[in-house]
Amino acid sequence: MNAWLTTILIFLPVAGALAIWLLPLPRHWAGSLATLVSLVEVGFWILSVDRFDFGRSTLQFEQRQTWFRDLGVSYHVGQFGFSLWLVGLTTVVGAASVAYAWWAGRDRARAYFGLMLFLTGAVVGVFTAQDLLVFYAFFEAMLIPLYVLIGVWGGAGRLAATLKFVVYTVAGSLLMLAAIVVYGLQQGTFDLTKLDQSSNKWLFLGFAVAFAVKAPLFPFHGWLPDAYREAPPEVAAMLSGVVSKAAAYGFLRIAITKFPGPTHDFRILILVLASIGLVYGSLLAFRAPDIRGVIAYSSLGQMGLITLGVFAANDLGFDGAVLQMVNHGLISASLFLLAAMIERRAATGELSLLGGFARGRPALATILMTTGVIALAVPLSTAFAGEFLILAGLFQHFWAYAVVGAAAIVLAAMYMLRLISAVLHERVGPAVSEAALDLRAGELAVVVPLVLILLGLSAWPNAISGHSFGVASADAAIKSTLVETPGGANELALASPLDWHVGAGTNACAAVGDKFLNAHPDLLGGTHVMRCPGGRFLRLQIHGSGGLARSVVYGWAAG
Amino acid sequence: MNAASWFCLGLPLAATVAITLAGTRVSRRGAAYLSTLTTAGAFVAAIVVFVKLLDQSPKHRGALTTSWTWLSAGKYHFGLTLLNDQLSVMMMLIVTGVGSLIIAYSIGYMDGEDEERRFFAYMSLFVFSMLLLVQTANLLLLLAGWGMVGLSSYLLIGFYQERASAIAAAKKAFVMNAFGDATMAIALFLLIEHTGHLDFHGAFANAPVGGTVATLIALGLLGGAVAKSAQFPLHTWLPDAMEGPTPVSALIHAATMVTAGVYLIVRTHPLFENAPHIEDLAAGLGAGTLLMAGLIALVQTDIKRVIAYSTMSQIGYMFVGAAGGAYANGMFHLMTHAFFKALLFLAAGIIIHALTGEQDIRRMGGLGRRMPHTRTAFLIGSLALVGIPPFAGFFSKDSIIAALLNRGTFGVILAFCMLIGAFLTGVYTFRLYFIVFHGDESDFAREHLHKPHGRLEGPFSMVSTVTVLAGLSVVGGFVQFAPFWHPLSDWLAPIAKPFAEASNKQELVASVCAVVFGIAGIAVAHSLYVAKSSTLPKALGILKHKFYFDEIYDWVFYKPAVLLAQGLGRFFERPVVAGSIREVTVGFGEGSTAVGRVQNGLVRSYALALASGVAVLAVVFLVTR
Repeated sequence: MNAWLTTILIFLPVAGALAIWLLPLPRHWAGSLATLVSLVEVGFWILSVDRFDFGRSTLQFEQRQTWFRDLGVSYHVGQFGFSLWLVGLTTVVGAASVAYAWWAGRDRARAYFGLMLFLTGAVVGVFTAQDLLVFYAFFEAMLIPLYVLIGVWGGAGRLAATLKFVVYTVAGSLLMLAAIVVYGLQQGTFDLTKLDQSSNKWLFLGFAVAFAVKAPLFPFHGWLPDAYREAPPEVAAMLSGVVSKAAAYGFLRIAITKFPGPTHDFRILILVLASIGLVYGSLLAFRAPDIRGVIAYSSLGQMGLITLGVFAANDLGFDGAVLQMVNHGLISASLFLLAAMIERRAATGELSLLGGFARGRPALATILMTTGVIALAVPLSTAFAGEFLILAGLFQHFWAYAVVGAAAIVLAAMYMLRLISAVLHERVGPAVSEAALDLRAGELAVVVPLVLILLGLSAWPNAISGHSFGVASADAAIKSTLVETPGGANELALASPLDWHVGAGTNACAAVGDKFLNAHPDLLGGTHVMRCPGGRFLRLQIHGSGGLARSVVYGWAAG
Repeated sequence: MNAASWFCLGLPLAATVAITLAGTRVSRRGAAYLSTLTTAGAFVAAIVVFVKLLDQSPKHRGALTTSWTWLSAGKYHFGLTLLNDQLSVMMMLIVTGVGSLIIAYSIGYMDGEDEERRFFAYMSLFVFSMLLLVQTANLLLLLAGWGMVGLSSYLLIGFYQERASAIAAAKKAFVMNAFGDATMAIALFLLIEHTGHLDFHGAFANAPVGGTVATLIALGLLGGAVAKSAQFPLHTWLPDAMEGPTPVSALIHAATMVTAGVYLIVRTHPLFENAPHIEDLAAGLGAGTLLMAGLIALVQTDIKRVIAYSTMSQIGYMFVGAAGGAYANGMFHLMTHAFFKALLFLAAGIIIHALTGEQDIRRMGGLGRRMPHTRTAFLIGSLALVGIPPFAGFFSKDSIIAALLNRGTFGVILAFCMLIGAFLTGVYTFRLYFIVFHGDESDFAREHLHKPHGRLEGPFSMVSTVTVLAGLSVVGGFVQFAPFWHPLSDWLAPIAKPFAEASNKQELVASVCAVVFGIAGIAVAHSLYVAKSSTLPKALGILKHKFYFDEIYDWVFYKPAVLLAQGLGRFFERPVVAGSIREVTVGFGEGSTAVGRVQNGLVRSYALALASGVAVLAVVFLVTR
């Protein structure tokens, strides 16, 4: 059963989509069936959290089926800790989006709900594929339903918005496809767990540009404002909440892990662009005239922040980035759905026409206020935890990025408070009628779970930040290649305290320690734990103020 | 003890959640009682912690209790850990004690408000946040509490949400505090990088001593403290915050939250002691603020704003004390100030309540005859504020001045500033008192003053709590009388060993001078507003504009940000980012007509085109490798 969990998570919604397309269901049934399927999908995800072993950092729920033996292509899927959380984000936001569409009612329901389910399945596929060609297939499969959903069901400017979106993403995807083909053929396999690292910077750029467009990163965001404004709100929720994370995931799983050299070369460029995006997005969000504009540009800023965390390339940055991906996914999905609920009542999202929604509508006021203050990362919220880790990680890399990030915290407060009071407070806007109702039970059922998850995460953000990369595992493959710590490939992060003995234990163990110390003559502090032959752990506690004054205390523990 | 401290933290949060979830199922009164009782319960829990601490020997106080790891990344772990030590229990007692009195007062004050439930939910949320701030054992969760009190303050300042000025004031307070949060976060990043710890013990033990890093850490923390405590130059939000209901001003913007900066300095004093320049800077800012706020308070006409400026000024004293090394004296003044400033605000609240919301002192006058009890309460608060013996302020304020006399030339300058401040305090406090209570009854008061509560001057909940606070303002100071008995200093000494202690002679000099300056101030106020034998000099007109800080910040920060955002939108986003793609899409449109002929519907030709495109790119990649 466990081995099948990933495959089930991918293909359950796809099967649901096929059923809805093929069966001649009555209009209302399509939505019910789609909602049911997406809830069952969430159930399977909860089951997989229960079955997941967070102590290990290896691939779990893994399934491999050779596809083209000659080319080294296989259907290979599985999940790491961080993929598990992103899959969870996808299923939860997918369920909320489908349920909202069902509640609000959409034309051509069978086509619509089929596409929504298909989209969910494809995104899960992106987060779990361990073969580059399978990854690409899911990446494309994710974009096609989006083209249709925006182009057919979008607002008045949908055609132009779709065209822009298509041009940008197709250009990015083609670059990525070419990079994948060359990379795989060179190495004779497309399997991500087998591919060796590469130093080819063109291949890196092929991937990086595709992800930068998808995220989007400044200045590749030309498609973003129109697509987020014109898409049906629940599609915008999926697009900004979930699909954008595929790009950050790609940076983490492919660009950094497989191309450490080029990552190093292009790191400054990417960090600078991401910082610009963070400030630029926040500034434009501050002046955006409508609700969706604020959310769209704040998403641009947040994706910049997440990218900063990924490219900080240390423990703090990685854990913070994964946490923030989940946070932002839930936040922007909730905000887009709330925007839809407000637009439904006022027939507009123009901030100048809104206002005074709070009076007599306590549910709407409470939920928008709660989501809004979490979105602006008020301390103690899970978004604060994510931002804090990211910026602390960046600070260790270079302080200036973190200072820019801290400035963006102030800007985030400015644009989010502006949005909240323009909708909820002050005089009653011309578009807001007395008769506009508070949130209905159906709307509450969609948005309250999202907010509750955010509040739960605020009480315990470590649920994600401490359970994304596994700990103390024999196979620290992912983390050791990902993490730029002084220890390099051997260094481990230990969560549970071991029973330490004084000394190095064996000569072989001492040799590992000596090698490490020779390799890092400039390391003057900290505790480093590594694995040495015989399954033991070796701990080096380094003290010192420079040069030969360094002293090292050895410790060992049974593995 | 550990269970009691978790109860203390958890009860107010439980009240917030319960009131929010219950919605209209709980009556307005029910919400008020729930909020009051849970805060009182938290006070009882704090007393339990205090009593248990008393049992322990001074060296072993400071138990830690962890519920769960709140956040971790790699080797860094930040637990949701509470610390029960002398300093935190003192703050817990002040916050929950004064807090429950003020919330009880609100039962009467907010009666009949449309959204009472929301008010009490927010008040409980605030108490929870403030307790988190003072109870936690690491800087990350201290920052979390720091932000949460800012959030509750935002929610409560903007409580009257239809009033545009209230919403603007709330946003201003939040954004200025977000700036402080950001500088504090940077200090925390530095600590993570250089010590690997954010828990108090680990961070203080490993923190760099002297040098740029130590200076920057202390500066970052000071930024947070200055913003939260409304000290120069981040002080402009506090007077505007008076848009909130009066109990909010008493609880958040006088007794507790705004003094958090002082708590922070005392709590993280090892980090400040590592950077002596920043300590001097903090003391200097405190002294500057207490003079500036005292001057501005002279000409304000809104009763709450006068008290707000006086709060700012009194926190200036605490800053000088805490940053000058007289930790216990600073904390002592924090405590007495919580009593008498809450008293002044709540007494002012009774007046505002009786005058159906009027806050302009020019329309008051002669209220003493109609409201003698309120007048007495206000007088007690005023005397305590000015520092006239035997009222509370006398004991705490003078000991700060005395301690600074021991700190060299700079200390003497600061002490002199504080004496001038004492004079100003006398003038503005009694200006307020004389204008409001003396003389003939104003026309406005004659028309609007209503007392529907029988013999009482307000609802029972309001009058009784004001009476308790008046009692505390009289006796609260006797906790410590520096040369003779000093239990508070002894209590706090293991946590924060002072490096400025006054001799008995200095205590005497400081006390005599401060009382003389204070009485002189009262005398000037009397001649100005009762005898009317002189008038304020015209040059003080600049004070009406509060030294133009609002205007300057508007021009230096807000307007440029707006202009930059608009400029980027107009001259970059639209023409460059959005525009370039427009040309591309138009091009595609024309091109597609031509390409349309290729669309022959044959899948194989599409596949061929796609494959050849990829092949071209692949060749490019291979060749340029």
